[in-house]
Amino acid sequence: MDTQWPRWEVFKQDSPNKPHQAVGSVHAADPEHALLTARNIFARRPQAVSMWVVRAEDIYSWTQEEVAEGQMTKGESYQAQVGQYLVFRKTSHKRSMTFVDYVGEVEAATPEEALKKAQATFTDALALAWWIVPADRVYKSDPSPETIQSWFAPAKDKTYKQQQYYATVGSHISKHKVGRGVEDEE
Amino acid sequence: MRSEVREALIAKLTALADDEVILAHRGSEWTGHGPILEEDIALANIVQDELGHATLWYGLRQQLDGSDPDQLAFFRDAYGYRCCELVELPKGDWAFTMLRQYLYDLYEALWLEAAQHSTYKPLAEAVQKIMREERFHLQHTQAWVERLGQGTDESNRRLQQALDMQWGYAQQLFVPIPGEELLVAEGIVPDLLPLRERWLEHSTRHLQNAGLKLPINPGYQPTSRAYHTEHLWSILAEMQSTARWDAEAKVW
Amino acid sequence: MPVKYGVPSDPDYNERLAEFEARIKRGEKIEPGDWMPEEYRRQLIRMISQHAHSEVVGMLPEGAWITRAPTLKRKMILVAKVQDEAGHGQYLYHAAETLGVSREAMLEALLAGKAKYSSIFNYPTLTWADIGTIGWLVDGAAIKNQTMLAACSYGPYSRAMVRICAEETFHHKQGKEMVLLYAKGTPKQRQMAQDAINRWWWPALMMMGPHDQDSPNTEVLVRWGIKTKTNDQVRQEFINEHAPEILEAGLTLPDPDLRYDEKTGNWLHGPINWDEFWQVVNGNGPMNKERLEARRRAHAEGAWVREALEAYAAKRQRTAVAV
Repeated sequence: MDTQWPRWEVFKQDSPNKPHQAVGSVHAADPEHALLTARNIFARRPQAVSMWVVRAEDIYSWTQEEVAEGQMTKGESYQAQVGQYLVFRKTSHKRSMTFVDYVGEVEAATPEEALKKAQATFTDALALAWWIVPADRVYKSDPSPETIQSWFAPAKDKTYKQQQYYATVGSHISKHKVGRGVEDEE
Repeated sequence: MRSEVREALIAKLTALADDEVILAHRGSEWTGHGPILEEDIALANIVQDELGHATLWYGLRQQLDGSDPDQLAFFRDAYGYRCCELVELPKGDWAFTMLRQYLYDLYEALWLEAAQHSTYKPLAEAVQKIMREERFHLQHTQAWVERLGQGTDESNRRLQQALDMQWGYAQQLFVPIPGEELLVAEGIVPDLLPLRERWLEHSTRHLQNAGLKLPINPGYQPTSRAYHTEHLWSILAEMQSTARWDAEAKVW
Repeated sequence: MPVKYGVPSDPDYNERLAEFEARIKRGEKIEPGDWMPEEYRRQLIRMISQHAHSEVVGMLPEGAWITRAPTLKRKMILVAKVQDEAGHGQYLYHAAETLGVSREAMLEALLAGKAKYSSIFNYPTLTWADIGTIGWLVDGAAIKNQTMLAACSYGPYSRAMVRICAEETFHHKQGKEMVLLYAKGTPKQRQMAQDAINRWWWPALMMMGPHDQDSPNTEVLVRWGIKTKTNDQVRQEFINEHAPEILEAGLTLPDPDLRYDEKTGNWLHGPINWDEFWQVVNGNGPMNKERLEARRRAHAEGAWVREALEAYAAKRQRTAVAV
């Protein structure tokens, strides 16, 4: 049987005052490898200052619909014990390339209890989806300035990945409609 | 700058750039053919970085003698190239590729660290840029060596085989080019001898931790960058085929 | 976790379907965990995995020219572009995975020849100018589709498409820049560019798929907000944008019937050779066998690598537990 390695959800922070956001996932073998891989995949372009990875199976998720229907129980793979849980939330249907945003931590005995606490704590906006993650399952990139420089800064110099790099001269379509000549706005 | 120092610096920059171009070429042969999507992407990052480094080195040479980087890369033949033989070896399997990249990255990271304080400003500035990326490359390839070495019997065997093949070739990274002593004396580039000691110490420790044995007899160790493996001619024939296809073409 | 993929035999199917369709009408995104018709899930898996496979197979025709790129800059750009295609495949497999299908299973279907991918990649890249032309035409056509899909009702697919669109614009630009440059270049460069346009124009038009009347899935895909435009609409947009620019560059298009229609403001094209299209879709294109073989080889040669890292992780976990 082939293996594509386990799946890890990736959370990327664009700048120090922004929350970590779920950007997608990577397949990787172990936590250190998952972080390196996350950097390779999701820092090909700016911006980033920090990344977290979590095994997909260690994430407890609820959509608004599930919460409304009272479907509180989730899988039993996690050994319940009192501890910290990271809370992520989605609040908008707007077009976006990220899913849930990090909003904070709660202390609880189970993911379900963590969800209830999160619902009571983070009330500033309607939650369309929640992710609850046991804090000890989160692996974080090194916050030292050297690592930030080495992992995330070079992408800014890779300007050839930006469309502005290409000074394409072309004509606007309307130029080809009879009679009018309109300059390209590019 | 005295003219013999300038000549030596031009030769050194050319060697640095040529190493990157040919190693990037070998790495790029994997693009689309990696063992898993994530690693295809990872190696393509390294390749782009190396092409960027080559462009920087050629750029420094251009400041000295006005030569065009693309002319150097695409219109010099195997007699003119000054890369080391390690980077010319065919891409081999994933273990071969990761090990070569690791041995090279470790050398480059150490070299850059020492070259930070170069008395030649433009070089010191380029080093700052390149060093950031090289630090990550080394983390990445170090992780791969550890994992392949300690993975399965097969991965260990393949990595060991790659090491037996490459160890002697890798020593060429520490052979000075003719005239390099002038540059060292002026504080423009670091002395390779102490770097070699540090490289040996780091690599030996890491390779042994990964469960590998250093070859007792490293075998052939190339010493001159004027001659190459039998592969370089073919690499250049392929690499330069489009650029040379139309003698009239000024831009691509 | 209760899996909520509804089928028409469910007692509450019609009621839930009405709620589901109302949500889509309101512009809400459907997220993993939400109730959805099994048919919605099936269509999404079909489309997303096909799309992912297309990205991954699509690396091959362009990847073949990385080692022959004529300048350091072009080489760097091409590596970045082919790398993006791997990345886009990666994002898309992720979107499909949220529907409960594994990447192992999707890849197995691809390698077994059971899954489809965009047939454009079964044409060969004969010259360097093909690289520019693929960027301009093939990515131009792809972006039309992708921009539409960025508005898709399924959250994970939509998010993948938004990210892909943001990255893809440079693919289109670098290709266009190159072709325009060669169109003004030496006689050999001009001839190379024209030849590439001649070969890629029709296959690019076929990329949007069969005409609407021959596209059985379109109706339900539009109703469920997966697609928001029909194949012919997207094709027309593509032609309107690209045909005049190519002609303006002094190049010609291999369609004697192509003309601008005053009344509709559209560039009308001649008949598309659907027989060729179906031949390629059904495995008889010039490169079908080679492309699949290249994917199989990479997969097989990578097997020991994937196993090795899995073994390493297992050993590490055992040590961690023992401590």
